[in-house]
Amino acid sequence: MTDSHLPRRTLLRYGAYGAGAAALAATAASWDRLTGADIPGRDDGSLVVATLGSAFDPATVDALTKGFHRLHPDIPLRVNAVQAVDWSDFFAKILTQIAAGTAPDLVYVATEGVQLFARRLGVPLDRWVRRDAAQLREYFADVHPSLVESMMYEGNLYQLPMEFNAADIYLNKQVLKRAGAGFPAADWSRDDFTALLREMKRAGDAHFTPYFWTNRLWGGVVPWLFANGTNLLKESKAPGGSWLWDTFYPAADRQGRGGGFRWTTPQATADRVEEAYDYLASLVQEDLCTRPEGGNGSNLVGVFSTSRVGVTPAGGFWAGGLHLAGMRAADYDVQYFPRWRTQRHQFGAAGYALLRTSKKQEAAWEFIKYAARKDTMTRLFQSNQTTPARRSMLNAARYAASGPAHWQVFYDTLDRFPDTGPIPAPPQVAEVTDVLLKYTGTALASPRAVGPALRRMQGDLEQAMEREV
Amino acid sequence: MTNTQVPAVRPRPSTPPAVAERPSVRDRGARLLAALFLAPTVVGIVVFTVVPIIGSIVLSLFHWNVIDPPRFAGGANYRTTFTDSTVLVSFRNTLLFMVLAVALQLLIALALALALNGRMPVWLRSVFRSAFFFPLVLSAASISVVMKYLFNQDFGVVNWLIGLVGVAPVPWLTSEHAAMATVILVYVWQQFGFSFLLFVGGLNNIPKEIHEAAALDGATGLRKHLGITLPLLSPTLLVASVVGIINALQVFEQPYVLTDGGPGDATRTVVMVIYERAFEQLDFGEASAVGVLLFVLIMAVTALQFRLSRRFVHYQ
Repeated sequence: MTDSHLPRRTLLRYGAYGAGAAALAATAASWDRLTGADIPGRDDGSLVVATLGSAFDPATVDALTKGFHRLHPDIPLRVNAVQAVDWSDFFAKILTQIAAGTAPDLVYVATEGVQLFARRLGVPLDRWVRRDAAQLREYFADVHPSLVESMMYEGNLYQLPMEFNAADIYLNKQVLKRAGAGFPAADWSRDDFTALLREMKRAGDAHFTPYFWTNRLWGGVVPWLFANGTNLLKESKAPGGSWLWDTFYPAADRQGRGGGFRWTTPQATADRVEEAYDYLASLVQEDLCTRPEGGNGSNLVGVFSTSRVGVTPAGGFWAGGLHLAGMRAADYDVQYFPRWRTQRHQFGAAGYALLRTSKKQEAAWEFIKYAARKDTMTRLFQSNQTTPARRSMLNAARYAASGPAHWQVFYDTLDRFPDTGPIPAPPQVAEVTDVLLKYTGTALASPRAVGPALRRMQGDLEQAMEREV
Repeated sequence: MTNTQVPAVRPRPSTPPAVAERPSVRDRGARLLAALFLAPTVVGIVVFTVVPIIGSIVLSLFHWNVIDPPRFAGGANYRTTFTDSTVLVSFRNTLLFMVLAVALQLLIALALALALNGRMPVWLRSVFRSAFFFPLVLSAASISVVMKYLFNQDFGVVNWLIGLVGVAPVPWLTSEHAAMATVILVYVWQQFGFSFLLFVGGLNNIPKEIHEAAALDGATGLRKHLGITLPLLSPTLLVASVVGIINALQVFEQPYVLTDGGPGDATRTVVMVIYERAFEQLDFGEASAVGVLLFVLIMAVTALQFRLSRRFVHYQ
């Protein structure tokens, strides 16, 4: 500006412009917030179900929609298949939709998000479950109580489990043969596991890695914590839930059940946790396994199917993946996770959560019931991309083409090890997961890094758990 | 050519010009037309830049988790930010990344632009230009996914190749020391094409007569570059460095896909922290506070650059 002397008239004019702009801004601010739902055609009155896109193919979604329409022609249904890399990415996208004012009515939620959704967004299904108990009796009789318990929060049920995956161990049989090793027994120990890795390493070339694992909440370090009889956060059970157990399960199955899991005090510096990390660090040092950040699930199928990896933890979902990758049923098999102090396994389950913002809650419940039917689940879970929550769906015919030979392991994990439980996923799960992944990488970076990394992990976990979610 | 001969800043007139007379109808018509042409851009900037910036500043004063109504927090989000070790480390990483990535990017781009400015068949020059620019038009996320496979310690092609000459596998993405270097390498490979094109344009704008006159005075190749090419290229260098620094301070895709910020926090950048706080931890207030701090940092660095440019940038 070359002239700093503003005439009074100009000053008044600018003042008037400013006052006008302020008035406009105030008017705009007082309007109801426009949301994505205000876009013409966006809200067509359908019941909107958000699913993890990559889990269901278009044909399956189509079958799901048509089947529901035949049963409930008066309820229009739209399946919103959200494409996401993993569950945390999926939740981020769902929350963005909620922030944009286009919240779905139902969201397919895995263990990682059960408590977060229950605490902030979900509606307990208790009253509908009680009301339609007669219809649901067959479902609960077919579903393991551990899976149902993992969907409870503070005494209420928030989801009916549709699928789950326990972290069992897949073994490449060509690698076993090359190493001259036999198939491990069901009660194999951690030392048996280590010895097997060493045999595999001796028989393999420089590009071979016996044990491949990924740095994540499910299937990462947590199975080793469980096997060593510990957990990242102190685990207990909420009171309540007897309304469900007494109605649907026999006395033997009710034993020790509560109103869902509670994960509270961080215990990253506990001896057993440090022991588990020391063990994994020793495997890294001995070149018996990959560094956890080195790989992820996407390149795992490729390296396993081409015999560049011997063993890896995975769930029933891998049978479908390996089959698609060209592995024959005889090329691989599955066994329980090895025993350490315990042989407790970890699992993750998923089901539909009803959002409290939904204006179609009755219709949404009808969809949940429809999705839990055996014929619906059979249509949905055809290609072994997961382990169905219904026990009766796991049979020889399902695994005849794809394998593995020991397919019974998938469901028997829950029966044989009754203390098997869900991955630790409190409402603060996102931050807990971030902390776990970050310090697992740091802990395994060098031989003496475990102790300091776990101490820092403990501090960050304490901070995370204090967060009001 | 020195700074005293060609002033970088036009001197201000000693006296203010007289107050302009009331513009004619024709002038007012021209101004209105200009305003009409400018309006879409101005509206775009206001709606998509100014309003979000103000929104972020306001949001940084609240606790908001998307689901519940925002609660006023005052300066709590900023206090948390300044005491959060992850945030502080991310700022350190981002500054380190900026310095190394931009320096490397400019050096490579300048060296290649100078090399291509020499005698070379036109078709070959076009091939090189296209090859250097090509990575820039690709998605950073896609490139990073591919690079993640290439640099995988156990199964990657890079370690396989160096293994052929007897070099032990390098933990490109899993070592605290190597991870940042690998991320920078991938970033620079993708980004240097932009600076390269700017330098090619800048070099073409330098009159040949100046070089010829210097040659007559006995200047050699290196002397000509240091004494003539670089000073005359300094405005381009300024633009390339400003754009490069702003981009580097906002780096996200490469470290997010390649290392997810790890191992530990070794490659966690500020924008990654903003994303994690907002979309993973549902803390939009703290995410906004970190965003505002990054905004201030970018403004400060850019202002500093322009301030320093008065000394080092030479206009013809």
